[in-house]
Amino acid sequence: MSRNAEVIRSAFREYYFKQKSMHAPDAIDQREFGYSQFGMHGMVRHLSFKSIGELIATLVKEVPSDVYCSNALYRFPTLPMQEKQWLGADLIFDIDGKDLGLPCVPSHSYPICAACGHASPPGDGDYSCSACGGKKADRVSIPCGKCIDGSKKEARRLIDFMTEDLGVERQNIDAYFSGNNGFHFHVRDDSYRPLDSQARSDLVGYIAGIGLLAESMGVRKASGSDEAFVKFPKSGLALGWRKRVADKLKIDAASIIKLGNIAKEKGGYAGFKAELDRIAREMGARIDPQVTTDVHRVFRMPGTINSKSGLAKIKCDDLDSFDPFTDACLLGSAKVRVKMKTQVKFRLKGEHYNLSKESAELPAYAAVYLICKGLADSA
Amino acid sequence: MPIRLGTGDLARYPFLNEAGEYLRQSGFGWEELDRPDMKDIIERAADRIRTGVDGSVYDKLDRYETEIITFLVTLIMVKSIGMEPALKKYALAEARRAEKFLTEDLKKQNEAQKRALFEKIFYDLFGLVIDVTEDGRLFKVKAADYLMRSSHFHEQEWKMINRLVSKGQVYLDADETVRLVRSELAVLITSRVHAMSLPPALPQAIREKADELRAALAPHYEYRAHAVTEYPPCVMHALEVMGKGENLPHSARLMLATYMLAIGKSKNEIVEMFKNAPDYNERITRYQVEHLAGTKGSRTKYSVPSCDKLRTENLCFATSDCAGIINPVQFGRRRK
Repeated sequence: MSRNAEVIRSAFREYYFKQKSMHAPDAIDQREFGYSQFGMHGMVRHLSFKSIGELIATLVKEVPSDVYCSNALYRFPTLPMQEKQWLGADLIFDIDGKDLGLPCVPSHSYPICAACGHASPPGDGDYSCSACGGKKADRVSIPCGKCIDGSKKEARRLIDFMTEDLGVERQNIDAYFSGNNGFHFHVRDDSYRPLDSQARSDLVGYIAGIGLLAESMGVRKASGSDEAFVKFPKSGLALGWRKRVADKLKIDAASIIKLGNIAKEKGGYAGFKAELDRIAREMGARIDPQVTTDVHRVFRMPGTINSKSGLAKIKCDDLDSFDPFTDACLLGSAKVRVKMKTQVKFRLKGEHYNLSKESAELPAYAAVYLICKGLADSA
Repeated sequence: MPIRLGTGDLARYPFLNEAGEYLRQSGFGWEELDRPDMKDIIERAADRIRTGVDGSVYDKLDRYETEIITFLVTLIMVKSIGMEPALKKYALAEARRAEKFLTEDLKKQNEAQKRALFEKIFYDLFGLVIDVTEDGRLFKVKAADYLMRSSHFHEQEWKMINRLVSKGQVYLDADETVRLVRSELAVLITSRVHAMSLPPALPQAIREKADELRAALAPHYEYRAHAVTEYPPCVMHALEVMGKGENLPHSARLMLATYMLAIGKSKNEIVEMFKNAPDYNERITRYQVEHLAGTKGSRTKYSVPSCDKLRTENLCFATSDCAGIINPVQFGRRRK
């Protein structure tokens, strides 16, 4: 095992040994668990635990790099996929800061050369490795406060759709920081458990604002031309998406002429449709469709450490005030010496770091953070 | 107070448990089907199957005694014809017949009658709870119950985003409410036929009619070959991205590979297509293609993702040529 992996592993082991934030998911014995190990490809899957104590004992012994638990419930969680007998799956959502196209990202993305592994400070323009001249790079992001605020904004939208439209009680939506750059949501509502992947995909469309028809807002296509005419749906515009869009366009079920004019302004039926599509996607919450539609996924287990950062996936009791760089930074603080690969700026536990020297002595949580990100090596 | 249905309801909805109960109480037996006065019923049943398989709805409605026995004879006959595609079409036609009656009933009937229908058909048969809005114009279905059913419909207007949704309830009118359970009604009828066991000696009158129908229906179900003339825009887009050496998301790669497998491209040709990917590794790509083809790993053959799924994954680049298809493999298919 590499020196880096040893440092991370020992910090993770200490955490799993002392932690108090892991709780058993409901029906723990019907869930599939899996984990990945340091320095190994692939995942150990199809595991089952009878209690949280049994799981923690395994984590302390094995010290995996990442730990996952199925959103699905199975009659036989340890059997191969086809024989598990699916009994239903929790409804889950993932909001990932990296998918939001935020303008701040380039300013804190560190290119790491795909050929030689050399890290460089964030920069604009075409990449060229200063060590080997390589042109390809992986980019590692050190999320900033704006990234987290961006994810929180999407999270509030998601919660609004789930409570207002879908009628799920707020206290039945558990929000978690993902452990890196986003939030996970677990919905505790049995009525959604039996939904198959297709039904969840329809729900994703609802929340993300995909597929809203112009006809749903009352704009129809005149036969034989691209002109639009207005005929409101019988059920009105007073609720759900129709209300959201109606408010945005400042219309109601009496605004036949006004809506007709809006459609005309946008260039008729097709133009209005394109505009509506844009508005709806903008108003929807940007969730990862793959995660929600996968009914066999092993999803990061709450209370465990994310090896992309060394931060924990942890429950946010109050999303607004939650600060992942403090609240999810739970590793120990013994001093660890690291060799920096490039100059890095970040903030953890309220302290701002701006490391430009070649080597530094840091608390374990900060050292592990940089090693996990690939921006420092253990010295 | 127990909810009671009238005999007219039993005639219109002969699949209700109460209709079976009527048959039991009347002491109906197989041997009666060979009686001369049953000839008319057998003829009606054959007519009902023929109409259904042709894609139309049988619209004659007689007294409930006749309707209940005709329905039973129709099921026996469809079972002994033993052609699955014919059964599917027949079951759908029965469901559409019931849909027509149900829609009329929901529009016409009074509050108590509606409630009885909800209870007996929607709840007893399908476990679906339906509520009525205060003004009585619209019906309310729980969001999860709605999604479970509507997501199998392909029309965009059934996507939940195109519905009035609030506080966990989806609002529907009478036609839509009934449409929601129609396919389940077809499934119910199909499964009743599957579960049925025919008597060892089938009454001759039914056997003869079934043989006649089987011979008449067989030519309808011969295999039709299709040829692919061009790639759909989603596949074209993926090929273009790949051609430029840009990174294609995993979901797009899955679509590309399953599509190529579905139209009969060889695994070698498919592996070759991914050569331009920035992270190309022949060994891994080959394994993945073989996995999707069902020859490695889980041994499950993966199907091409539906247009719906591609739309949610932002992989759909539909053009007007895509009208009417629900899966990329249907694009550009011309019957030979």
